[in-house]
Amino acid sequence: MKILVTLAWRNLWRSKRRTMITIASVFFAVALAINAQSFQQGSYELMIDNMVRFSTGYLQIQDVLYEEEPSMDNSLLVSDSLLISVRPFLKRIAYTVPRIQSFALASTEAATRGAMVTGIDPETENRFNSLPEQVVEGRYLAASDHAVLVAEGLAGLLKTRVGDTLVLIGQGYQGSMAAGKYPVKGIVRLRIPELNNNAVYMPLSAAQDFYGAENRLTSLIVMPADPGDADRLTEDLSAAVDSNWYVVRSWKYLLQDLLSLMEFDTASNMVIIYILYIVIAFGIFGTILSMMIERNAEFAMLISLGMKRRRLAMVCLLESLFISFTGAIAGAVLALPVVAWYHHHPIPLKGDLAEMILQYGFEPVLPFSADPKIFLTQALIVFVMAVIIGFYPVYKIFRMKTVERSNR
Amino acid sequence: MKVIRTHDLSKTYNHLVVPVKALVNVNLEISEGEFTAIVGPSGSGKTTLLNMLGGLDQPTSGKIFIDDTEITGMKESRLIDFRLRNIGFVFQSYNLIPVLTAIENVSFIMLLQNYPKDKMEKRARELLEQVGLADKADVRPQKLSGGQQQRVAVARALASNPRFVLADEPTANLDTQSAFNLLDIMLRLNREENITLLFSTHDQRVIDRARRVITLVDGSIVEDQHFEK
Ligand SMILES: Nc1ncnc2c1ncn2[C@@H]1O[C@H](COP(=O)(O)OP(=O)(O)O)[C@@H](O)[C@H]1O
Ligand SMILES: [Mg+2]
Repeated sequence: MKILVTLAWRNLWRSKRRTMITIASVFFAVALAINAQSFQQGSYELMIDNMVRFSTGYLQIQDVLYEEEPSMDNSLLVSDSLLISVRPFLKRIAYTVPRIQSFALASTEAATRGAMVTGIDPETENRFNSLPEQVVEGRYLAASDHAVLVAEGLAGLLKTRVGDTLVLIGQGYQGSMAAGKYPVKGIVRLRIPELNNNAVYMPLSAAQDFYGAENRLTSLIVMPADPGDADRLTEDLSAAVDSNWYVVRSWKYLLQDLLSLMEFDTASNMVIIYILYIVIAFGIFGTILSMMIERNAEFAMLISLGMKRRRLAMVCLLESLFISFTGAIAGAVLALPVVAWYHHHPIPLKGDLAEMILQYGFEPVLPFSADPKIFLTQALIVFVMAVIIGFYPVYKIFRMKTVERSNR
Repeated sequence: MKVIRTHDLSKTYNHLVVPVKALVNVNLEISEGEFTAIVGPSGSGKTTLLNMLGGLDQPTSGKIFIDDTEITGMKESRLIDFRLRNIGFVFQSYNLIPVLTAIENVSFIMLLQNYPKDKMEKRARELLEQVGLADKADVRPQKLSGGQQQRVAVARALASNPRFVLADEPTANLDTQSAFNLLDIMLRLNREENITLLFSTHDQRVIDRARRVITLVDGSIVEDQHFEK
């Protein structure tokens, strides 16, 4: 009925200031919640992105037994059957990063240390994580080299330099002895401290020789042409490969520990957002309460005249719907440029904090996430909250008496 | 024809420490076309009686009939409808919807009644004219004087074509001139349109003009006088 809308609309402008304040509080709640969420999710996205880009890749093909016992014996064979089963998906694959890795002992004249010896394809590794840029001394590897790159920390421990010789001893495929002497071609500075203290890289063929594992890999990282296709590609590849031998792991699986840690962290941060919601809820409730007190006599009069409580409640509901809707939309719309700005211009970190983050291998910046889901959910949560509060007058209207003692 | 009949109407307010007997066995009949004042000192039960007759509150015991329809014990939703169709109200204050203009306030009742839209505006204007406020049709209540507001309320009360109009101390907040003005309008409507009017007051000047005066003391009718005027 038109008159109900007219009444609601005019009532909103009757106390302009109160309406504005209430809209503003919904607005701020939404804008703040969106920013807080984008900020948090943004740093997670960056962290995941870093992990995916520098460590696990979006998906990997492994031997079925490798996860349980990551040893050379459980490496995978790059067989014709594997290549054939992957072939139909080549269009969706940007490139692959082969790796073969295991632990070995690294010795120089000065010292012996445990090392993670990884065979890499120098070219694709460059594409994957720009390893050459991390070279701080000497030069990067070429595919045919019989030489190694040593991580800076490990080089320090071994007191070795470019041009020195490194002796590597370990266990190869099927219990064979892996041993060899390799000149140090370069020193790389790795961001992840753990890796920086134990990583040794050598070209893939040299590593396969070393481990006595011709044509074998411990993992084959697959980079999808479209990162958004990663999950589907994982599924499709899983279905295609021989599941007796191969398994396809997505980054979600490979990073599950990190992800569940983040989830836990998100949950604890949500508490702060909940507190924000509660504060705002009381703010809205306060204005609604004062509105009810002010209009109590008017409501009683309307019901006395013969206006159905249902209709009167409708007027109040329309009012709070308008306030909630306007506030929520305005909050989401105005949060947009802020979030977009910090998404493209992440907040740079300085000082100790930046150092610490750098040590963990991440860029010391705090970008905002531009995930549209955040806008939707936050706006929706606050909107629903405001609507629920808007039901208080409805409840009151259905309970109120037409005759109050005050009408004497 | 009796528009209103009550039978041993009593109201006791029980929610206080001491129960208050606001009405005690009131038996009352109001005929069509009457112009009746309910008078009595403050606290004598005038408001309580009008609230009962208007179906705004339920009596503790006794019955009320409006045109032979018993409204005591009626379900609230039916009662609201009943009020809308049969009873016009003029309250002492908070009479008008503040966000609507005078003419919208008058039309509002007709809207609730689903009165045909095309005739609504014309009728609302006529009613405002009858109370001498044709020129204030598009003015909101807060821009009207107290007397003008009460006159709009009278026009609105008539808009629904009620069987009778109840007015609880309609002149209480008005200056003498406005009070007489309002009373004149009510009297004229009563004479010319045969509107049944029942109002409470303790204003002697108003009482002097009534054609029937019912006096309440401590919730009981102590006097019921008819005057020929
Ligand atoms: N809602 C109420 N609750 C309790 N007592 C009431 C209420 N309304 C009226 N009364 C009491 O009932 C009596 C009659 O009041 P009322 O009908 O308002 O008188 P009047 O309108 O003649 O001044 C008074 O004693 C008053 O205190
Ligand atoms: Mg009274």
